[in-house]
Amino acid sequence: MNLNAQPSLNRRSSLNRRSLLRLAGAASTATLAADMSSIEALASPALTESLKQSGKRVILLWLAGGASQLETWDPKPGRLTGGPFSKIQTCVPGIEISELLPKMSSRLKETAIIRSLNTKIADHGNAYQLMDTGRTPEPSLKFPHLGATIAHELGQRDSQVPDYVTMYTSTEGRRQGTAGFLGGRYNPMFLTDQMMPANIKRLDSITEIDHRDRADLRDLMANIFDRKQSHPMYDAHNSAYDRVRGLMASDHLFDIEREPQSVRNHYGPTQFGQQCLIARRLAEAGVPFIKVARAWWDSHGQNFETHQELCADLDHCMSALLDDLKARGMLDSTLVITLGEFGRTPDINGSLGRDHFASAWSCTLSGCGIRGGSVFGKSDEDGKTVIEGEMNAGDLFATIFAALGIDHHKEFMVGSRPIPIADFDSEPCFDILA
Amino acid sequence: MQPSNLHELAKWPCQDIVFCAAASDDSRRLWIGSSDAGVYQMDVAEEKPQRMKLSGEGHSSYVTCLTRCGSTLVTGSYDRKLIWWDTETGQQIRQIKAHDKWIRKIISTPDHSRVISVADDMQCRVWDLASGTMIAEFSDHPPMTPHHYPSMLYAVAVSPDGSKIATGDRVGHVAIWDSKSFETIAEIETPVMYTWDPQKRRHSIGGIRSLAFSGDSQRLAVGGIGKIGNIDHLGGPARLEVFNCQTGERQLELEDNKLKGLIEQIVWGPDDAWLLTAGGDNKGFTSFYNPESGEMFHQEQHPAHIHGLWCDAAYENFFIAAHKQVNHWSMAEKEA
Amino acid sequence: MRTRFHPVLLCLLFSAVATASTASSPMQLAREIDRLINQQCAPELRAELVGESQYIRRATLDLAGRIPTVAELQDFRNSESLTKRQDLIQQLVSSADFAFHQRNELDTLLLRRLEHNDNWRAYLLEATRENRKWDELFRQIMVPEDDEDHRSAAFLRKRISDLDSATNDSSIAWFGVNIGCAKCHDHPLVMDWTQAHYYGMASFFKRTFQTRAGSVGERFDGSIGYTTTDGDSRKSEFMFLTGTKLVEPDSELEEAKQKEINEAIKKSESDAKAPPPPQPQFRPRSNLVRIALADTEQNFFARNIANRLWARMFGRGLIHPLDQAHSENPPSHPALLDLLARDLREHEFDLRRTLHAIALTDTYARKAHAKDPPPDELFAGAIPRPLTPHQFSLSLLIASANPTEMQGLSSKQEWNQQREELEQKSESVARQLEIPDDGFQVSVTESLWFSNHPQIQNEYLQSGGNRLVGSLLRFESDEELIREAIQAVLCRDPDPDEMTAMLQYLQNKTERRTDAIGQIVWALMSSPEFRFNH
Repeated sequence: MNLNAQPSLNRRSSLNRRSLLRLAGAASTATLAADMSSIEALASPALTESLKQSGKRVILLWLAGGASQLETWDPKPGRLTGGPFSKIQTCVPGIEISELLPKMSSRLKETAIIRSLNTKIADHGNAYQLMDTGRTPEPSLKFPHLGATIAHELGQRDSQVPDYVTMYTSTEGRRQGTAGFLGGRYNPMFLTDQMMPANIKRLDSITEIDHRDRADLRDLMANIFDRKQSHPMYDAHNSAYDRVRGLMASDHLFDIEREPQSVRNHYGPTQFGQQCLIARRLAEAGVPFIKVARAWWDSHGQNFETHQELCADLDHCMSALLDDLKARGMLDSTLVITLGEFGRTPDINGSLGRDHFASAWSCTLSGCGIRGGSVFGKSDEDGKTVIEGEMNAGDLFATIFAALGIDHHKEFMVGSRPIPIADFDSEPCFDILA
Repeated sequence: MQPSNLHELAKWPCQDIVFCAAASDDSRRLWIGSSDAGVYQMDVAEEKPQRMKLSGEGHSSYVTCLTRCGSTLVTGSYDRKLIWWDTETGQQIRQIKAHDKWIRKIISTPDHSRVISVADDMQCRVWDLASGTMIAEFSDHPPMTPHHYPSMLYAVAVSPDGSKIATGDRVGHVAIWDSKSFETIAEIETPVMYTWDPQKRRHSIGGIRSLAFSGDSQRLAVGGIGKIGNIDHLGGPARLEVFNCQTGERQLELEDNKLKGLIEQIVWGPDDAWLLTAGGDNKGFTSFYNPESGEMFHQEQHPAHIHGLWCDAAYENFFIAAHKQVNHWSMAEKEA
Repeated sequence: MRTRFHPVLLCLLFSAVATASTASSPMQLAREIDRLINQQCAPELRAELVGESQYIRRATLDLAGRIPTVAELQDFRNSESLTKRQDLIQQLVSSADFAFHQRNELDTLLLRRLEHNDNWRAYLLEATRENRKWDELFRQIMVPEDDEDHRSAAFLRKRISDLDSATNDSSIAWFGVNIGCAKCHDHPLVMDWTQAHYYGMASFFKRTFQTRAGSVGERFDGSIGYTTTDGDSRKSEFMFLTGTKLVEPDSELEEAKQKEINEAIKKSESDAKAPPPPQPQFRPRSNLVRIALADTEQNFFARNIANRLWARMFGRGLIHPLDQAHSENPPSHPALLDLLARDLREHEFDLRRTLHAIALTDTYARKAHAKDPPPDELFAGAIPRPLTPHQFSLSLLIASANPTEMQGLSSKQEWNQQREELEQKSESVARQLEIPDDGFQVSVTESLWFSNHPQIQNEYLQSGGNRLVGSLLRFESDEELIREAIQAVLCRDPDPDEMTAMLQYLQNKTERRTDAIGQIVWALMSSPEFRFNH
């Protein structure tokens, strides 16, 4: 597909649609709102709109299975819990991280480390729920995952690109993510075994013109039906079809062959690196939320061998991503998060492994809205408890929203019940906000 | 000395992880390397032996390996250093930044003139025991795995006749070297040991963890782990392969699914009458095989993962370095 | 404002509705339903009744789980019977389609896609074919060990490894009560549900275990200890949602006997050929079934299923959400819910009768309001409902077939066999589609799939003679062609604007006529009018 031809194609498409509508004598051609279900934000619409225009993005590097804080952001060398690896001085005086992250050590000026997560839940399923929604589940409510909330807040209604893309190629721990009460409009575009989304390419058996014309004919049918009865569910249905051609035109975003070799080399040959590059391409094109999941940090056996392997991947790819975003002037508007469902036990088990641990663990936030080169919170000398600045999942989410300029007090109405965007009583951590 | 006689004489629990052990010829003194970065001497002939830390600057990370040559002890660590110690004075003699990455194994040549180390910089280095100077360095092990992750060089062995050195890495590649010219004389592949999982978790955990030449120096035993169902744990069979060094032909390929995990140590018995493997997952094992038939004829479960094992020349005393414990075993007839 | 629900109030609520009387025929019940709905909905708010095309589409989707065929549509329109709507409903609830559809609905309600289990689905189909009564199904599914047939054990088997799922899912599916929130603390918003209720319900499942042979069994002992928010340690009692408690009789087993039992249970857990495990005298799940069925006061069991059937036909429960039966969330029409529940009890929990009656009501036959609808809970007009995965998948197969080869109930002999084949054929697509819940929105995953997946082209738009597209090719008149296409897919006649647009579409693409016809059919199938029941 010729990229440059895309804008004109869209113009033609909309003209064509209008002419068909005129032909049909349709009275109402109002654009169909994406979120006309019962979910209405109470925040000021004007503020919301300007935020949507601001071009802010999130790239979440999801460390599935739970990375060890001790081998990454909160090393404790010299303690029995500390493991064999030493710590290294970073480019920010006073901040040291594990020697397994040498590249990140010279790039910490844009990154804030949180060392005081105490999220309590330490089984994969429930912890995943918690860290993807920022709150504990309620049986009667389906909370949206972070990506869906961000897509809702930052995505533009008429966007030609997807607004929530998840890449999770390995099968272990794969979870799709859901828009919950925000509705299917905000469900992720989910990439599993391939790095190209499913059904994004036109079949050879239909021409470009016919594909477009039949979509216009469908629009016409939808509009005639709309004269007889209307409902938000119909609007969402139409919106899903309205977005098809834009999404199809974004197939090139997933094609890293289009990047110069030097850029591809910069990200390196691993799949995680390639996915980080796709994430950058998507962010650049305006996709508000991209999650790249790297399995599988669940190192019950041989924790140190596992981290030698996986930290090398994380260190390189995260560094490459931050460099690239910075070079393109995008880092100020892109928030890069590293997070998993929990950390790992300070105690080392008989298989030289570390087990699930949610009482004192770490994550990072880089770029947009973040005071780089900062560390928040503190764990004790063995890493067993938080001794300063304890933070829970709700606070972390509030911090993420605040970094993006989203009012964390904002509420959704779900039926008659107001649900705050970040969990009840959560507060952003202003210490690490720019 | 019958393997079935193997029994515990003493057990010394501790808080740290003990990776390696070597004793004096008379088995009255023992030296161990610990996860607390210390190297300790224990007078194991005493009823309640105390640990005495050898003095000097010492290591700053896990002490993963040691070898004793007479009254000289050489230890290697994740801190990249080799340290020479005098076992009589308990003092550090010399330290060398020997590698650029984590040192995995150190051994000494049969004549005790040299020590040989391997590390994750993928180099094998030969050192003069007396002077500490490096005599040679060589490698046939790429720094990256085929899947673009850092590789590791875990294992090294020298043949009893002193003629050959073998090195084995994470992806299952073994190189055999002439110990005079330091040229490769054979290569052996054990790809199953790599355990790369391309689909579920995209990572590996295995590698060649142990190597041992037979007493006649003709055969090489290679130890590690087999195909793992669940890489998060060490849930794979203990895997042993035995090769003819001359032809490269594989003579045995054994997997034990009963007591699972990594084979960390291999010992050939007197006149190659048996092969002992030791290692484990969350617990430990020792298994004895007939090196001709491959039959496992004796096996014991150990409460802790075995990292290191040392035995004396008479195959009578065995010292075990394990997760939070050290053990003294004997293969002599039990006293009535 | 939180208010603890007062027992007296509770009684009042449940007795105040006793005025509605039950009826003998489905039609009498239908009249009573309309009366109770109309009591709360002024005539000017009520939408007019739908025309016959929309009526047959709606009813066929709801009772047969698919759209009507062209032949059925025409037969219905051509019928001059004064009772043609009643006749249609009678035909639908007696059809083979009804059993399949009812099976699919019950499967979704009970297993929620926790697994696709052919044996379980076959069991449900046998049950729906003989219109097995709901209390009987409840007993079979909750106490599957009483039957040699282990197929009904799937519900418990999928949940028993997690006591919370077994407790909460059972409570939601059978009683319409979500007590999950009361596990860690008394329910924060609903004072009906306390920790004692949660653990009381959980106690009934605590002893259940799975046998290797595929059924379940119960241990001879086992209780749950929990800590209240005040830090007190408690031991749970067997307690139903109504507060009815069950006291376990004292039983002292000799040690040897106890050991023997434990070994037999252990064996049944690991050995598929082991004899069924011994059954204790005191059987908690069996007692739960007994207590729940005996609860005629609050009537959770009957009210839940009545409410669910209502919601299936109207897109909204009388109690809504469907799992929130409690005093803070009263039914929109208490007397009506009570009537339906009592009617079910009086007619041996015959679900088909309830659906039959609802389908006969005027309330069911109302149009959707074009704009500014009154509140949904008045049921003044139709609320659109997304097709379920099975309805959608089956309807695509029916719409895309050559209408002369897809007669439906108009050809009585062959249809049962054909319907069975369609059911099987529809499975793979149905399983890929999302089960719609409250606030459902069609996602781009679906629109991309429908726009670009080869299956759409090769299955639904294929131009072979046994397909709609192939059959349309034989029409010489474009107008006739368009009329047939719209009837086959949307079950109605074309609108003049549509006719104009489609004629132009065909004229613009005369050189690719087959393709153009396929595109018209695609546009119809991808329209919201097809995707929803309205």
